[in-house]
Amino acid sequence: MRFSIVRTILFKELRETLRDRRTLLMTVGLPVLLYPLVILAFTRIAESGEDAIAADKSVVAVWGAVPAPVAAALADSKDLTLQPWGEAPEDIRTGLPTGRYSRLDAGERSAPLLGRGRGTGPREVEPENAVLLAARAAVASRKVQSVVVAWPDTVQEYERGDAAPLSVYYDSVRRESAVAHERVSAALDDARHRIVVERQRARDLPNGFAQGLDVRSRNTSTAERRSGQLLGSILPYILLTLSVLGGMYAAIDLTAGEKERGTMQTLLCAPITSAEIVLAKFLTVWLLSLLSLVANLVSLSMTVSRLLPSDLPGVGLTNLVLALAVLLPVTLTTSALFLACASFARDFRDGQTMLTPVYMAVALPAGVVGLPTIELNAWTAFVPIVNVTLLVKALFLREASTELIFLTLLSACMYAAVAIAGAVHVFHRETVLVGEKTSLRTVFERDGVRGGTPNVGFALTAFAVLLVVQFYGGLSLRALSIPWLLVTLQYGGFLLPTLGMVALFAFDWRKTLALRRPPIVAVAMAVLLGLTAWMFAGGVVGRLLPPPESLTRAMERFIQLGDAPMPLWVVWFVLGITPGICEELFFRGLVFSGLRRLGAGWAVVASALLFALAHASIYRLMPTFILGLVLGTLRWRSGSVLPGMVMHAINNGLIGTLAQRPALAFWFGMQGASGAMPIGPVLVGTAVMVMALGVLKLLRPAADDEPGSPAYDAR
Amino acid sequence: MPSATGGLEATALGKRFGAVTAVDDVSLVVRPGEIVGLLGPNGAGKTTTLRMLAGILSPDRGRVVIDGLDVHVDPIAAKRRLGFLSGDTQLYQRLSPREMLRYFARLYELDPAHAGRRIDTLIAELDIGSFADRPCGTLSSGQKQRANVARAFLHEPQLLILDEPTNALDVVSGQFIVEAIRRARDAGRAVLLSTHIMGEAEYLCDRISLIHRGRIVDSGPLEALLQRSGRANLTDAFLHYAGAEAGAA
Repeated sequence: MRFSIVRTILFKELRETLRDRRTLLMTVGLPVLLYPLVILAFTRIAESGEDAIAADKSVVAVWGAVPAPVAAALADSKDLTLQPWGEAPEDIRTGLPTGRYSRLDAGERSAPLLGRGRGTGPREVEPENAVLLAARAAVASRKVQSVVVAWPDTVQEYERGDAAPLSVYYDSVRRESAVAHERVSAALDDARHRIVVERQRARDLPNGFAQGLDVRSRNTSTAERRSGQLLGSILPYILLTLSVLGGMYAAIDLTAGEKERGTMQTLLCAPITSAEIVLAKFLTVWLLSLLSLVANLVSLSMTVSRLLPSDLPGVGLTNLVLALAVLLPVTLTTSALFLACASFARDFRDGQTMLTPVYMAVALPAGVVGLPTIELNAWTAFVPIVNVTLLVKALFLREASTELIFLTLLSACMYAAVAIAGAVHVFHRETVLVGEKTSLRTVFERDGVRGGTPNVGFALTAFAVLLVVQFYGGLSLRALSIPWLLVTLQYGGFLLPTLGMVALFAFDWRKTLALRRPPIVAVAMAVLLGLTAWMFAGGVVGRLLPPPESLTRAMERFIQLGDAPMPLWVVWFVLGITPGICEELFFRGLVFSGLRRLGAGWAVVASALLFALAHASIYRLMPTFILGLVLGTLRWRSGSVLPGMVMHAINNGLIGTLAQRPALAFWFGMQGASGAMPIGPVLVGTAVMVMALGVLKLLRPAADDEPGSPAYDAR
Repeated sequence: MPSATGGLEATALGKRFGAVTAVDDVSLVVRPGEIVGLLGPNGAGKTTTLRMLAGILSPDRGRVVIDGLDVHVDPIAAKRRLGFLSGDTQLYQRLSPREMLRYFARLYELDPAHAGRRIDTLIAELDIGSFADRPCGTLSSGQKQRANVARAFLHEPQLLILDEPTNALDVVSGQFIVEAIRRARDAGRAVLLSTHIMGEAEYLCDRISLIHRGRIVDSGPLEALLQRSGRANLTDAFLHYAGAEAGAA
């Protein structure tokens, strides 16, 4: 990979793309010009409509005779113009006073139709009747905005000291009618208050007798949180969909557009690799997505305050920067996804047809952020697209925990890596690049021939799939005891899928899982490393990056396999031997052999990183990464997975033993299995570990049948 | 078999697309200072063969060596020695010919000072100056193809693979390209030319290979082909081998 070539192609693609008005419009023009204008115009029109309604009085028809306090309250309201019998048909004028129409006939209270028992209260459902039809016609005529109906017994009930029946008719769809209803309700509340006060005074009762309780509700959320809730429900969706749209058009232009214009072949006959082409095109699409994202953010920051109530603050700079940072992995994912899918299209129109469903698949889940009941939690943190939009919302509300941020970004980066691996995989298909007729099935074709080994993309995809399986498996099986949970996840979530993938894709068992006989020296060093690596991880890293108390307690309970003491053979089987076999076959077997094509050093580092990420905790990242580096080194220098199994089993088994036998932990001077170790044993353990790694360094890697090894590449 | 050092040597190439065999056991040699014609009807496998020779497609069987370098073992080094031009090899619509040539100079990792001089020379030689700074999307077919020739000749390749380079050009523009090819041969370059214009092949080619249904059916100098086919001119010989003569079944 020559980055000077990648840069050359990238700059050319950017220059050409930015000269294309269509792409430029979608990437920058739309957010910067169009939608602020739409928001401003929309709010301006809405505001002017609201202002007009607020300035005008509501015309309210009053049908029938109302009690005196009601008449007074309605008349006192400055927002109402009353029209006695306004727009009432003749039969209503004659029928209401004579008792031909009564409230009993007009309707009754019914059980709620929606949201049963969830605090919605009973809802008035009035059957069709003459008064309702007449009131509906009156409001529809727009000559009145609301109708207050006093029934034949209204005055009588009032005078008897009972609740006087009144009905208010309005059309909730028409804004001026809804406003009239609010104003009438306010006036009637005033009338009710007057009646209650008058009746209390008549009976010599204290003020508040009928009120019963004086309840005052106070909102504890700050203006920033209320603003965050509103913005968090809208902004992530708008940002994501519009920034992704910018990348979508670029992806079509750079693949299908290039095929349509016949320039892909021009590029392919130059002395460059398909990897350099795909990286440059991917970076172009991603940079244009970023450009679109930044344009959206800047534009929104200037206009979004129009969408908020006047008492709430707008988007702070911190929120904007956080939103940008969090959305980065999503733009990586969508850029790679779009690039891979668009490369199957033969021309721009074909590309649009292919990417529209992909865009919908990205945009629709993002809309979940608007639902108030969906929050970022352990379940949603691994749902692609949804997790990031929920994280932005949580950041706006300032309620995202460190662990959830870590999990969300981990899964988002993981999906991005898989999407990029997919794009590279597609671009390695020469027929896709040349523009031969190709189906989407090409994506799922296997690279290797029977007896081969996985490639980098396969290793990353396998990791991503297993991580999601592990995560949701762990959440679903929480009812199991810790030993059963661990054993199920290890054998069901690591070992079986690993063996299944090797069998399904007909990989070479020996090469893929590194099932070679290791040098005896490597096994001896594995034993030494198993005895000492935990001292380094616990003693040095634990001091530098101490985990929070809650995590320490959770880890203690975890490595004790629950609350009850366990026999040591169970501890060694569950914590030592099982992960030693299952995790090693996956990480230092299948994943390592896929990453080996990058070179041995990169394979060690990358497999260690994936191993650390699989432990799904930011506080365990560093110790597990270091352990992964040592295990990867063992795998590399020995050419076999077996020494790693030995070391992993001893390392974990010892930690479990210390947890079960506190006396042993005290012998090392520790306060419990996860307590800090005195510096003496730490230094001795670290020295032995370094010595063992030094001996491993002297070993000449024997396996010359691994992809990426010099002997393999020279064939 | 003659040595192909400085030229092209393709041995037993084969390529299938699904159930269709596009190219079957094709071998070719092009020496420096020689133009070899690859002629065949539509669908005969010419374009697939040329794409394999240029390293754009990988053959299922056989190997391609350019100037001693296997195209599929060392594609980068081999492509540096290759200039590829076809009728459907297009230019970037939103770049000018000069920008496009600078871009390819960087892709071929030419020394910037040398690349600048080389671009100026090509612009003068191919009479591109009047449209060198206009977007390629606004150029005529002839102007575009001249710019494309400049791109293919930019890095002074030892081997030129030209797939119907005069396709859809008027006589004047076509002749301009033909003369450029002739000059390349005179400069000692190896040229493999695919064309449907028999007069062009007769005028330019030192040797001709006829391909039909993915296989080379005859190969040699024009006179030898005519003698073996018993025909008076290349068009009749071509039709004979393609089985398309009047009255042929």
